[in-house]
This record gives sequence, structure tokens and C-alpha cells, in this order.
Amino acid sequence: MSLSYTEIVILHCLQRIEGQRTVYSVFHLLNGKKTSQTIQDAHLFHLSAFFHLFPSLTRKEFTDYIKRMENEQLIIQKEDLHFVVPKRDHWKAVDANILPKYVDGWRYHRYSRMLWERISLLVQVISHLNKQNQKYLPIQTKKELHVWLKKYLVQSKMSREDLAQGIYNELYTCLSHDDDINPVIFVIRLTGFNKIGLTASQAAEKLKMENDVYHIHFLNILHCILQKADESPEKFPLLNRLMTDVDKLTSLLTISASRTYRLIQKGFALDEISISRNLKRGTIEDHIVEIALNISDFKIDQYVSQLKQQLIVEASKKLTSKQLKHIRQSVPEADYFEIRLVLAKNGIR
Amino acid sequence: MMEKMLRKIFGHSTFRPGQRETIASLMSGEHTISMLPTGTGKSLCYQLPGYMLNGSVIIVSPLLSLMQDQVEQLMMLGEKKVIAFNSFLSYEEKNRALHQLHDYKFIFISPEMLKVDLVIKNLKRLDIALFVIDEAHCISQWGYDFRPDYLKLGEVRESLGNPLTLALTATATHKVKIDIIESLSISHPNEFIYSVDRPNIALKVDRVEHHKDKVDKLIEYLRVVKGPGIVYFSSKKMAEQMAALLKKEGLGEVMAYHGGIDQENRKLIQQQFLYGQLDIICATSAFGMGINKNNIRFVVHFHMPMQLESYLQEIGRAGRDGERSLAILLYANGDEQLPIQLAEGELLHENQIDWMIKWLEANPEAWNKLNDYETEMITLAGLTETNWRILKDFHQVAVDSGKDMYSLHELKDVMLKQMDVKRHKIKIVYDWIHFQSCRRKKILQYFDEEQKIRVDNCCDPCGLSIEDFMRNPTMVKNRNEETDWQRLLAEILINK
Repeated sequence: MSLSYTEIVILHCLQRIEGQRTVYSVFHLLNGKKTSQTIQDAHLFHLSAFFHLFPSLTRKEFTDYIKRMENEQLIIQKEDLHFVVPKRDHWKAVDANILPKYVDGWRYHRYSRMLWERISLLVQVISHLNKQNQKYLPIQTKKELHVWLKKYLVQSKMSREDLAQGIYNELYTCLSHDDDINPVIFVIRLTGFNKIGLTASQAAEKLKMENDVYHIHFLNILHCILQKADESPEKFPLLNRLMTDVDKLTSLLTISASRTYRLIQKGFALDEISISRNLKRGTIEDHIVEIALNISDFKIDQYVSQLKQQLIVEASKKLTSKQLKHIRQSVPEADYFEIRLVLAKNGIR
Repeated sequence: MMEKMLRKIFGHSTFRPGQRETIASLMSGEHTISMLPTGTGKSLCYQLPGYMLNGSVIIVSPLLSLMQDQVEQLMMLGEKKVIAFNSFLSYEEKNRALHQLHDYKFIFISPEMLKVDLVIKNLKRLDIALFVIDEAHCISQWGYDFRPDYLKLGEVRESLGNPLTLALTATATHKVKIDIIESLSISHPNEFIYSVDRPNIALKVDRVEHHKDKVDKLIEYLRVVKGPGIVYFSSKKMAEQMAALLKKEGLGEVMAYHGGIDQENRKLIQQQFLYGQLDIICATSAFGMGINKNNIRFVVHFHMPMQLESYLQEIGRAGRDGERSLAILLYANGDEQLPIQLAEGELLHENQIDWMIKWLEANPEAWNKLNDYETEMITLAGLTETNWRILKDFHQVAVDSGKDMYSLHELKDVMLKQMDVKRHKIKIVYDWIHFQSCRRKKILQYFDEEQKIRVDNCCDPCGLSIEDFMRNPTMVKNRNEETDWQRLLAEILINK
């Protein structure tokens, strides 16, 4: 049976979690569900790059994929809704790099859409400015995008020709001479003077790609622009400025967790935060785990003693299972929050 | 003076029939009713006076998509002082806009919004140069698109101090026109009635036996007739399926367009069609409102329309450049069942009303605040959006006149009557399809018009040579198909 790209991705994820979570954890991961369980699993099983890759995948579609793969015995149900992928030689391909180089769902999922909306509008507007044509309909209709664009144009303080040339140069440099990028995937979506971009499905059809493959490669280019613009602002000043008004650090966190983070930075203790935010203790604990997963210099000593941290790390290394209850059994003095936090901090799977 | 403005703002050098007369009438301060056929630039009739008069122009428009298109048209002309006041705006946006109403020249507003006291209060503060009712036939029960909200426009107009008024419509029978004048209570308006006839659009009906024959016929036509064109369907699913089929048949660049497609893609498809990147659009009636494409060469109806009025609106999107164009209607035996089903679906069924009365007996507190129970009512009684709107309108009137839930029994009669009207309209289309002599004459009769001009290539009974609508087979479509990404990017961004 030939597998679709989406199925290969699902298979890959199932292989990584080794039946320690239900199949729906993979669904939530690909959908980008922002619960602490999903976020933590994403990191624990080293699947964070897959986060939010297929936000429009429906539960029904997902279940159909699972059923199909089960019928073909590509996956086997171990216990209720827990599937494992039996090891077979010819599936090694599945384990290789199945994502294009730049795709990093967890890091960029919040910006991909915004980057596309902004860059497509910017290119269209510059194209018309450059051709001195004012009569056209903006392809993006959201009011806040128009407000943003106006600000962007004013702040760039460049002539229309320079701006057009500048954006061209930066996109050219960013996308060319890179074996992991096929720029046409991106460029045929752009709209300009007398030339309307293609929809995603038209583009896929034209390039003879399946929709899911096209989607991932398009995403790859957006993530590539985000990464390169972020790393070398001096090389890509115009692209870099597309996203500079977005708060990068805290946007690695969910909005609620970033609020908690700010309170922690001000020196508030867990219980104080719980009271002042009127949230359950457990919720704040979830936030702290999320922070530990994402902010590398975050210290957890105030929540778990160094001794306990050591015990937990050792226990997790000895045990093959990542199920918390097994770790708990060997370090009974630690509670679940402490175990989760230590695993998160140390990136242990 | 008027020509100068026309050139300066719109870049046209001459008026189309009816525009100059309408505008001149308004400029001399007379209330005006203008009936101009689709595709002849109705919106210019208020846009131009807007620039020549001091004060704001309020345009009441029944359809959100239409309103959005008109706003965009104005924006394309570089007009920034324009706003669409409808349920699309968020609460904050609405509030902000309400307090800055005087900053806008053109204020589009949906009839629902005019029911809100605060809105009226703010509109009253404005200096209103012109009050426009677009698609004015919606006022009349006899109009094919009756909106109960429109009935209150007379009241609204009065509370705004009876401003200078323009009623615009494309298709109105005599009865409808009388209704418009009466409910708006405008005395002695100037009337400019232009023929609904579009002599450059040839009318053809193909009657076949089975659904499958229609598909074959459609493909047969699309292989030879000159595009671009629109094929209308009654359902999203059919529009999608047929678009895929036509693509497979190699009939060029084809896309489906309907309400289920997301905003960004809808915009792209519309624009691709406008810029000649698409040959055929497979659409539901969601497509076409306010589409300003001049060179549409054919419109095909794959399903039977529900009224002659909407049919004329839709075929009127062809041939706006005045060039010869073709309207084809495909009919298979029994096709009239579909519009009847659709009509029934739009109305509330007797059982549904009985059920609602029972439910209200169990929950009497709901009667006075029906809006709070929207989701419940819709899911439990299986209502469509249209159903709910009808119910709400009826309920409003009933509550205002102090009636109780049992007044819903009256709604049954209302529904039966409306179904009769709809059946009657479908019957007229049915008869027109089966008519054996001039189709154009028959349409004009329906709109109480005399036929003034003779047309060659009039309609199938009069004789029509399809060769005149064919594309030149030696002309191969040459689309600029740049696939080299660098050149493509340069073309968009830096080439002059």
C-alpha cells in the first residue's frame, strides 16, 4: 500500500511515542492543540517540530488514516487506543528526516500565518506602487494588516523603487542556492500588478504535488524566511522588520503561561500566582512546566530541590518507560509536578 | 460639470443609459426611483452625487457580500471615507465607527442595523445628503427577494427627517414599483425605468431528458463557445464536482466558487477571473454580486432558477461591454422539483411551527426573549438560517403588538401564502422554459414592457446561430506561464 505524506507523518509520530500515549495525542500534536499535555509530549518525544503542522486535519480524517493503517497492519493496537509500529526493515525510511529542513512547528507555528499575510500584502502593494497603479483590491482584507502595512511603509523611509528592489534582493538571497528550498512553491502564490497569485490547491496541482506535500514545503519556506531573517537581521533588514513588532520570547509560550512567567520573574511564588490570577494550582504548575520546556535559562531549583532533581534524572535514565507513574514508583518522595518539571527541564524522553 | 466629475473620479467619458438622468434628477433635489438593468452601473448613480453634494450618503443594502463589494469598489477608486455597517464588524469596531460616523462620506448599512436605536440616534446627528435604498424590490412582498426588514425603511426615513431619497433596483414589475413608492412614502418621485432587456445577450434553453444529458450538453457547449464564462449551480457540492470534471475534460482553467471557500481563496479566485487567469467559474449564486468584469461571454444555468428576476440578474453579468454574449439554461425533465424543494426548505414547515408552540408552552419565559434561545431553537427544531430569520421577523411584530405564542399559528398561513408565491414564480420559469416563441418578448411581458428593438440572435425559438458565439479555434490561448521563479519574482516586484 502506498502511504500518503500525512500517513507517513502519523506513522513517524506513533513510532516515536512507542504506544505510551493514545493515537489522539498525535492528532492533537498535528492539530496544534495548546494544552500542557500536548506541549509537554511534543518535547518529551522530540516531536515539537511536528506541532501544528496540519491545523485543518479533522478528527474524522485522522481516524480514517488510523483505521486504514491498522487494516494494513502497519500499526498494531497494544491497548485501548494505544498503537505501536512493529519494526520492519523497509520502514526505516519512515524514521529518516521526513520533514523538510526548516520546518519547526513549535517554534514558528504562531508566526507562519502572520508572515504569509504580511508578506503577501506587502509584495502586492509594493508591486503596484512600483508600477504606479493605485486601482487594485488588496488580497488581504483584515484591517489590522492594512494598519500594520502603512506603518511598515512609513518606517522604511525608502523610495518605492528602492523598496521593491530591496524586497526582491532579500527574497532572492534568502531563497536561492538552498537545496532544501524550491522557491517556485512560494513565488507562484504571490499577487502583484496584473498577476494574481494561485491558491494553495491550484499551486499544488500546477506543480504536480499532493496537497499535504505542497503544504509542508510551503510551510518550509515560511519557516526558512523566519529563521534566516531572525538570525541575520543585517542581511535581511526588510524581512526582519516584518516580524519585529511581535514579542518573540514570550510568544514561545501560550498567552496564559507567559503571564505566569512575568509574575515569576517579578519574584512571586507559585501559590501567590495561583491566588492573584484566580487559577488552580495545577494550572500554574502546567505553566511552569511549559516555561521550563521553552525558556532554556529558566531555573527550577525553587520548585524541586537539587537532590530530588538528581534522583529523578537517574531514575528516568534507568527506566525505559517514560510513563510518570513508573518514575514515581522509584522516587516515591517526588510528586508528579516535580517529576514532570525535571523531565521537562532536562529534555528527557 | 457632471461629465467632468465622471472623468475625474471614475475615468469614464460617457454615461450609460439612465445614469445621467438619475443623477440630474437627484441634483435638482427630487426623490428618484431608477430601474436600471443589471450591469449598467447602478452604483454610479449615488457615488457621483455623493461627490457633488455636501453631507453623507447612506446606502441601505440587503446583502453582506454585495455591500462588501461596493465598499471595495469605492476603495479601489481611492475613497477612504467609506464604511460598511453590518454584523461583520466587531462590537468595538461598531462602537468606534458609531462615534465617528461624521468622518465617513459613504455609509453602507444593513437593514438589521437600522433596527438598533443607538444607530438611528447617531445617524440623526448627521447631515444626510442622500438616502439610498439599493435592491429596492426587497421592500415588496411581490419582489422575489422580500425582506421584512425593508418594510420599516419608511419609518427610518421619516425619523431621519425625510432626506433626499434614491431607490434603485434592476428588476421590478409594476406592482413592485407601487409598493416601493408607498412604503417609503415618497411623494411624486421622478421615475426612470429602463428596459430589463439586454439586447446583446442571446437566450437559449436546452431541454434534455436526463441529468446526464445536461452534463454532456454542458461539456459540448464549453468546448466551443467563447469565454470567459460562469456556470451556475444550486449547490456547493455540484459546483465543486463539475469544476473538477470540466478541468479533467481539458476545458481550460476552471475553479469552483461558493460560500464554503475561505475568504483569502475567494478573493484570489475572483481576482484571477477578473484578470483573465481563469476561463470558467463554477459558481453558486454567491458569485457575481458586484463583480465588475466586462467581458463575460456566457452564463450557463445548470439548474433551474427559482424566479425569472434572479435569472435576469445572473445572466446580466454577461456582456457588460456591450459585446455579443450567450445565456444558456439547461433543463432536464423533472428539474422543477429542485427549486420547489429549495423553496420549501427556506420556509418554516407546519410541523416545525407546531413543535415550537409546544416547546414554548413548556418554556413560556422564552417567548419574550427569543434571541437568547437562538441556538436551542435552531438545533431542536432543525431550522435553517433563513428559517430563523423568518421566525425572528414574525416574532418581533407579534411581540410589538402584544401577541402571545399562539400567534405562531398565523405564521402557518403566512408560510402557505409565501409558498404559493414561490410556486407561482417557479411555474413562470417553467412556462418560460417550455415556451415555443420569442423568449425575450415573454420576459418583457412579465415586466410589463413592450419590445422596442428587434434583435438578431434573439433566442432559440426566434433562431440563433451558435456559430456566432464560438471561439476562433485557431486562436490558442496564450497565457504567460512563467515558471522560472526568479523571473516571476522580478516580474512582480522590479520589472517596469
